[in-house]
Amino acid sequence: MTASPAPPRQVAQTCPAEVVAAVFHAAVADPNIAVIVADLSEGAEPRIRWSNPAASELLATASCDLEGHPIGDFVTGPDGTSVASLLRRERTTVGSVTVRTALGERTPYRARATPAPIGLLWTLQLHPAHQDLEVALRASADAHEHRFKVLAERSPVPTMMSEQGMRLSHANDALCALLGVTADKLAGTAWMTYAHPDDLDTITDTVLGVLGGQQREIHARLVDSGGRTRDIDMRFTPLHSAALGDGFVATLEDITDRRAFEERLDYQATHDSLTGLPRRTKLWAHVAAAMEDPDAGLACMFLDLDNFKVVNDSLGHKAGDALLVEVARRLRGCVAPGDMVARFGGDEFVVASRTDSLDEALDLANQLLRVLSDPLVVDRVEIHPRGSIGVVMRGPDHRSADDLIRDCDIAMYQAKASGKGRIMVLDEGARTAAHDTLALVSDLHQAIDEHRITLCYQPILRLVEGGFELASVEALARWTHPERGVVPVDFFVRLAEEHGLVRALSKVVLETACADLAIWEYELGELAPPRVNVNISALQMSDSLVVQDVQRAMQRYGVRPGQLCLEITESALMRDRDAASAILSQLRDEGVQIAIDDFGTGYSSLAYLRRLPVNYLKVDRSFVAELQDGHTAVTQAVISLAHNLGIGVVAEGAETAAQMELLAQMECSLLQGYAISKPLTAEEFVRWCRAGRPLACTVEAS
Amino acid sequence: MTPVCVDIDAVLDSLERLASQRPVAARIVATTNNDRSSAAELATVLGADVALAAKVMKLANSAYFGLSGRVTSLQLAVTVVGFNTVRSVATVALAGIDGTEGLPEGFWTTSLHLAAAAGTLGPLFQTGTGDALSLGLLAQLGAALLFQADPEGYAAIVAGTELGTGRFAAETQRYGITSAQLTAEALQQWRFPSGMVDALRAVQGGEEGALLRTAYELAARLIHPRHSSVPLERLCGHRVTENQAAVRLAAIRADVEALQHALEL
Repeated sequence: MTASPAPPRQVAQTCPAEVVAAVFHAAVADPNIAVIVADLSEGAEPRIRWSNPAASELLATASCDLEGHPIGDFVTGPDGTSVASLLRRERTTVGSVTVRTALGERTPYRARATPAPIGLLWTLQLHPAHQDLEVALRASADAHEHRFKVLAERSPVPTMMSEQGMRLSHANDALCALLGVTADKLAGTAWMTYAHPDDLDTITDTVLGVLGGQQREIHARLVDSGGRTRDIDMRFTPLHSAALGDGFVATLEDITDRRAFEERLDYQATHDSLTGLPRRTKLWAHVAAAMEDPDAGLACMFLDLDNFKVVNDSLGHKAGDALLVEVARRLRGCVAPGDMVARFGGDEFVVASRTDSLDEALDLANQLLRVLSDPLVVDRVEIHPRGSIGVVMRGPDHRSADDLIRDCDIAMYQAKASGKGRIMVLDEGARTAAHDTLALVSDLHQAIDEHRITLCYQPILRLVEGGFELASVEALARWTHPERGVVPVDFFVRLAEEHGLVRALSKVVLETACADLAIWEYELGELAPPRVNVNISALQMSDSLVVQDVQRAMQRYGVRPGQLCLEITESALMRDRDAASAILSQLRDEGVQIAIDDFGTGYSSLAYLRRLPVNYLKVDRSFVAELQDGHTAVTQAVISLAHNLGIGVVAEGAETAAQMELLAQMECSLLQGYAISKPLTAEEFVRWCRAGRPLACTVEAS
Repeated sequence: MTPVCVDIDAVLDSLERLASQRPVAARIVATTNNDRSSAAELATVLGADVALAAKVMKLANSAYFGLSGRVTSLQLAVTVVGFNTVRSVATVALAGIDGTEGLPEGFWTTSLHLAAAAGTLGPLFQTGTGDALSLGLLAQLGAALLFQADPEGYAAIVAGTELGTGRFAAETQRYGITSAQLTAEALQQWRFPSGMVDALRAVQGGEEGALLRTAYELAARLIHPRHSSVPLERLCGHRVTENQAAVRLAAIRADVEALQHALEL
């Protein structure tokens, strides 16, 4: 059966006949629309009851011949079925039909079937399925689509397109090639299986933003069919089309090779080329990242090779390098995955281990020392590497990677100081002291930079007939800390020596002394001291720049070489005899005077002393202090030695009139000490000179 | 099988009466039919029917669209699933077939397979995936209507035939119209796009019906293990070839699961 043999509903006819005729005429007169009246009253297959001239022309059959013919002879459904399914009793339907035209062709048409108000009649209006304009537009659209398709398909840029959420409707050849699959394996949501699991959320969130109308660019990883991870820049553009829906177009750029190159550069920049270990910057980043979790345990170990310098000096740098490479390999073999062994510099290594157990950290440190100590042969020489390790556990005071690494450095120095080849866990007291020292060093640095190191001057008198004359003044450095008050000179000089500030400190002292001497010459005229003595650090005895510094200071303040005397301790001369001898010779050639300070305490050999270009010996204060107790032998010996060598001798630490008298009897012509004057500020010294240089104690001049 | 008299117009009339009982669903269909409607407007209309809105939200968050759990606004949900899909979901409610009662055996299994198959094939036929999904999802509406008019007779057809050509022939023989063609009539009544109506009418032959015809074949292969396959090339003019069939079938199977879960059918 088919549609409806039941009688149609009666419709009230209210229009006058002439109106009906007018409408009918208008409807059928259009030569472009074929109209057929179909009648279903005779059975299942509708027959033609009437046709207009346009239909007659379309079907190439006279209207009278069409009447009574089954409509299926001329018009069928698209698949050859009956058009009866279009004939609905109470509603107009529209559908595709095939019309056998006058030329015998089967042409697609759109049929509009309207039921008549009375009887089993329908009016079929046949419109060409595709109007010329529609055909032209479709052809144009098809051409555009084809071009786009070719462009997208052949483009070397991997491209994907979605019309609904994450569902791909299109993946081009380049994308298929990138992932090593055919397009049908990427269709729908299947492509998501090629996203790296860790990046899928990012991609999905991005698509959501894109569906909301934004353009986005992200970096994500895809995994190709061979399991290789590809680094991809994905650029998403929203795609809205009324006909197709909302989706996106994404173009992909495979940056795997570029990224690998960048990573190689970064690796080279952050890793030591000799050992392959991370350098400091990488260590800092690693420790900082581990510390981001406030609860994460972390142990830092600072390892320093005890005998590296010996290997380097005796077997050469090549052997030293081989030792470092082997040590790096051994250390790396001890740590757990995720922990880091870094080369801190030279023969120093740092191990960062994620543990909050001191026992575990010590176990690891022990293991590090054990593997380190296995002998190795370099250039046929067996070496037994040894090291000292400082261990520190991350604590609440460690706010940054700096804090932690600095503390394990301190612990390592503690280990070294307690005897090499040890493991030392950071001691709180030592840490506080070390932090205190570091703060003081920083302040000292600042004080030197700001010329807040001041000088005091202690006069040195020469015994002359009928009295004394001013032979020189010794410049003594003073530092008054803004919070700690006066810092003992020995202490801050040692700090300067230990932290690389000694040259800067010496320069300040030299320049200030030269400047003051120049001022005194102007202010005091003949009363000004003929010479100023400046102390030189032991460390500067191996630094030839000291000669340059001395030349510049004298030049800058117009001081003549004979007006400057440099004091060097006997022990300083003994540290590196050849270097000291060379530097002293250069200074002496400049015309600068040289005095050996604290003489008698440094075990210098007389043969060595004889070769040195020295002008004065300064008898150590400890020997002068013994004089009153009758222990005169050493002082006498030094004075005699100086006389025999033909050089001057100064007695330091003359604190009493009795000492001065004894020294005078021993023919020590130059005296210095509290018996003459305590050290004076530059202003006090000027006043002391103008006051006639009064002695602090009364001495009978002989 | 004996031809029986089923009054198609009466069937369509009853459908119209049903629609009047679900005015919100009817408004949704009307809104989606209007080319000028925006996603915001559709979301507003959809929001008035809590059950339908929830269904669209669930669908948008389903694995089918790959955005599982991330779509939080109804407007975005409408954007993700597309107007056509919203219209299809509303139409299912409108036609009163959003349950299991009064439906032939395996109705929703078949519909979901057709929806998934058509959705997968859409891009190959220059049809938007939203259109294609909707087409497949609603294709069986006519079958539900035929079953309601002739429960025993249609149940016998379902039991005795496989989806596709065989069943269409049995439907035509008994009712003079195929279930797909009846769906076309219903959708035309609701002013669905003529492309969808034509595709349904041409399911047995003709260019417009190629997508749906191929979807019926692939669905049949999945539903009926002993289905005697018709070469895909013959059904769709070589748009899909037999050597792609395995991949397509696997994709369809996965999509069916996702849709089934989301639509709770």
